[in-house]
Amino acid sequence: MKKYGKYSGMESSREGESLLEAFHNSGGPGTLFWVSIILYAAAAVFSLALMKNPKVCTLVSNGLCILASLFGIATSIINIAIEKIHTDLYVFQSAIPYLSVDIRLDRLSSFFLLCLSVLVLCVSIYAIGYVSHYFGKRNVGVLHFLYTAFILSMIFVMTSGNAVFFFVAWEAMALLSYFLVIYESEKEENVNAGRLYIIMTHIGTAFLLIAFMIMFSYTHSFDMFGSSAAIPAFAKNIMFVLFLLGFGTKAGVVPVHIWLPYAHPAAPSHVSALMSGIMIKTAVYGLLRFVFSYLGVQNTWWGVAILVLGIVSALMGVAYAFVEKNIKRLLAYSSIENIGIIFIGLGIAFIAKAQGNSIVCGLALAASLFHCLNHTLFKGSLFLGAGSVHFASGTKNMEELGGLIKRMPVTAVLFLCGALSISAIVPFNGFISEWLTYQSLFSNILPGHALINILTILSVAVLAMAGALAAASFIKLFGISFLGLPRSERASNAVEVPGVMNVGMGILVTLCLAVGLFPMAVLQMLDRVLTGFAGISILPQLKNGWLTAFSPLSISGNAVSPAVIAGVFAGVILAALVLIRIIGGKRNERKVGTWDCGFESLNARTQYSATGFSKPVKIALKILFRPSRVVKTEGDLVYHPESIQYLVGIEPIFERYLYDPISRLARSISHKIKYSVQTGSIHAYLIYILLTVLILMFYNRIA
Amino acid sequence: MMHAVYALIQIIVIILAAPLVNGIIRKVKALTQKRKGAPLLQMYFDLFKLLKKSVVVSDVASWIFRAAPYIAIASAVAASLFVPVTAWPESQGYAGDMILFVSVLALGRFFMMLAALDTASTFGGMGSSREAMISALIEPSLLVTLFTVGLIAKSTSIFQIMHFTAGVGIPLLHPVYILGFAALCMIIIAETSRIPVDDPSTHLELTMVHEAMILEYSGRDLALMELSASIRQLVFITLLVNIYVPHDQMIALYGLSGFAAIAVSLLVYLIEVILVSILIAVIEVHTVKLRLFSIPNLAALAFIVSFLGFIQYFVLGR
Repeated sequence: MKKYGKYSGMESSREGESLLEAFHNSGGPGTLFWVSIILYAAAAVFSLALMKNPKVCTLVSNGLCILASLFGIATSIINIAIEKIHTDLYVFQSAIPYLSVDIRLDRLSSFFLLCLSVLVLCVSIYAIGYVSHYFGKRNVGVLHFLYTAFILSMIFVMTSGNAVFFFVAWEAMALLSYFLVIYESEKEENVNAGRLYIIMTHIGTAFLLIAFMIMFSYTHSFDMFGSSAAIPAFAKNIMFVLFLLGFGTKAGVVPVHIWLPYAHPAAPSHVSALMSGIMIKTAVYGLLRFVFSYLGVQNTWWGVAILVLGIVSALMGVAYAFVEKNIKRLLAYSSIENIGIIFIGLGIAFIAKAQGNSIVCGLALAASLFHCLNHTLFKGSLFLGAGSVHFASGTKNMEELGGLIKRMPVTAVLFLCGALSISAIVPFNGFISEWLTYQSLFSNILPGHALINILTILSVAVLAMAGALAAASFIKLFGISFLGLPRSERASNAVEVPGVMNVGMGILVTLCLAVGLFPMAVLQMLDRVLTGFAGISILPQLKNGWLTAFSPLSISGNAVSPAVIAGVFAGVILAALVLIRIIGGKRNERKVGTWDCGFESLNARTQYSATGFSKPVKIALKILFRPSRVVKTEGDLVYHPESIQYLVGIEPIFERYLYDPISRLARSISHKIKYSVQTGSIHAYLIYILLTVLILMFYNRIA
Repeated sequence: MMHAVYALIQIIVIILAAPLVNGIIRKVKALTQKRKGAPLLQMYFDLFKLLKKSVVVSDVASWIFRAAPYIAIASAVAASLFVPVTAWPESQGYAGDMILFVSVLALGRFFMMLAALDTASTFGGMGSSREAMISALIEPSLLVTLFTVGLIAKSTSIFQIMHFTAGVGIPLLHPVYILGFAALCMIIIAETSRIPVDDPSTHLELTMVHEAMILEYSGRDLALMELSASIRQLVFITLLVNIYVPHDQMIALYGLSGFAAIAVSLLVYLIEVILVSILIAVIEVHTVKLRLFSIPNLAALAFIVSFLGFIQYFVLGR
């Protein structure tokens, strides 16, 4: 973000502007972009070539990725800063019609490319240390190859200019991430997670394919930047539903989210950071590109549909996150919540656009794009932190952890900062985008739209509840795993991870704090993105500048200044320290055991567990969780049984009431087909062929 | 420069008045029980005594436990800047956004809940997990209530809201404000750990929430935790007073300005705070503590009331 500031500063002076223009005219951003692509490709090649020597392979591959990501950051920042709306890079027309490679970098693509590159930079630094625990056990070269290819596929998803190329990149992204999910394939659960993922993602892709076919049948073009005027209104409605389902599956919105909590945790942690941090955002990009900008917002109900999905995802995601005890799965559920918040912003933007309220539309778009960036930063850092915990202790189960803050002090501080960011607490970045979302909800309530007003105020309630539950989830995650006494041998034997891993995580956390303190830098960038992409400028609503307060609306007084609040915090703490020193003298501290009610039997097992921590909420929301409890006792004595088995569980309502019936139906239909159509008799098959030929002949005759 | 002076006045008034609210509540409760009760200023003596005592810290605790009291007080004091206690001469100068206000308070709660888990004490975990439930259930009604009054005043700044209500006459006669007032009363009770949600004067593991979280604290750390809890309480009372009975109104009524305006509004504010403290004490005397799993019902009631307030104004028309 600091870099952006520098460039925007350059831009403000005329000299700098001409310099940038000159750079651009000489093919600047394009060259930088190709350099970064070539570096990624080289990283992929080298990781396969150096497979024999895992150490060198890891260093070379990740080093090239770091370089490539720096070029990616430069490309996207310059591309946002220059006056031109988009940069067309390379059109490769193959002999096959419509199969061409179009790369088009507009400001929206550049924004997502920037999120990706920043994350890749940190994740690659982290991976140098993290991957070392696979040395000698697994083929690291393949991991690095898949990792770089996965990054490349995401870059092409974000920059492709026609639907066919987009589709190819999209499919490559799905397949490569599938291979990464099942990288540790000896674990049964990973293979199952991968299977569920590949089925769900292909269902989503199928919807997209149908939508593209409708697009082509009316416009005879796959150009994503072309006009959709030829498509009639009813077809646009159908296309919207298809896009929403297709992209929604990738984003992991409820109810098509079931793959996400299994697939994201199964991959190696640095890949999980990429999947949760940026892969699910490609769906947001897709919705903006294909629906918002290509189709154009036709009806208010489009926005309402997105908003409702957002509300449901935010609430369900965080509720399930709160009762989870696997660190990485908790983070994955929290991604569903954050996608929900992004969708709430998108929904408001669509509603406002349909009603011609461009101020609210711009604000809501800025809120959801800002949350995309923020989620990339803090979810990336949290997944890396989860990876560090796994690296040091060998477990992801909170019930086996505890007391890590004393064994891994640096990781603990970084993780805590990530947790504060995601809990939307000042002065970290999560608060800024949540505040913008609240502001866009606030300004979306206008007299006369009863239903939309009710929906909007419900979104406010959901956002508030999701915020409180998210904070509680991360208090639980941090409090149970990092504080208290270690609950297992593994946790008590944990040691701090290599410095390079903390550097990777530290950059992300620093960015979280920097963006939180100086949000204007990002908002100025977003303003350029939005003027380029939606033709809406949000700057008139933003008052003052950089360090001081800013108000997003023309209403005076709606101002937030995280930097000032951070200053107040520091001042109060300092004053408290000084005053107490004056009144009470030097701190005189005695260390004794925790109060144990005199029983002297306090140990790790008497602490609160992760399951116990979430129990009150589980009972309060039992309509959602449907908790079950089984107590089995052995022995004759009622009050002194020999052993007690206590099982608690929650009912997976989506799997049980939505997916199970569908899969049962599909299975029974295929079963019937197997016995009635696929009989095994050659005569029957000959008749099928004959009938097919006849039908085709008739069809040909008529058509 | 003026801003800094006003901010300082604000902070000093709130910090000095906060323990008094506890004193009043305790005194009123004692009087209704035909006891003499502790002196009004008892909490000041307690805090002063605690500051001079040495600190006992669990050997399990990490830096989180030691830092939490300071962060809690920072969060409470920073939050107090959002709710003006006196009239502000320049109307544009004060920007207290309500969403930021909620987030600032969340910081203190975040660290208090973490500190409770830090000592490996069962009580701490229990308090922390109960607080998680209560905060998750009560937050939606808080935001909806604030949004409703904010939308009427067309601003998310608490100061602007207060300024707006000052100009409309007696707000408590309007249904939307009555519903909001009722909702905010319930929210305050839950947020400040008062009966019927929590009992501040008990140390029984079946009932305690806030006390369970700070059970391991002693000495100056305890003093900071107690002080920040009472500041939080006063901040919420001030919020209620600012929105529904703004002291600005009195100044407008008598056309005061300058130093007189500040003094009068401060006086009116203090009287209002005393009245609200008595109201809270009366509620405490007349209700029993709810079972933990009945709190969701109270939260649901608070949410419905606040939601009805919104519907009344924005859907049914004014």
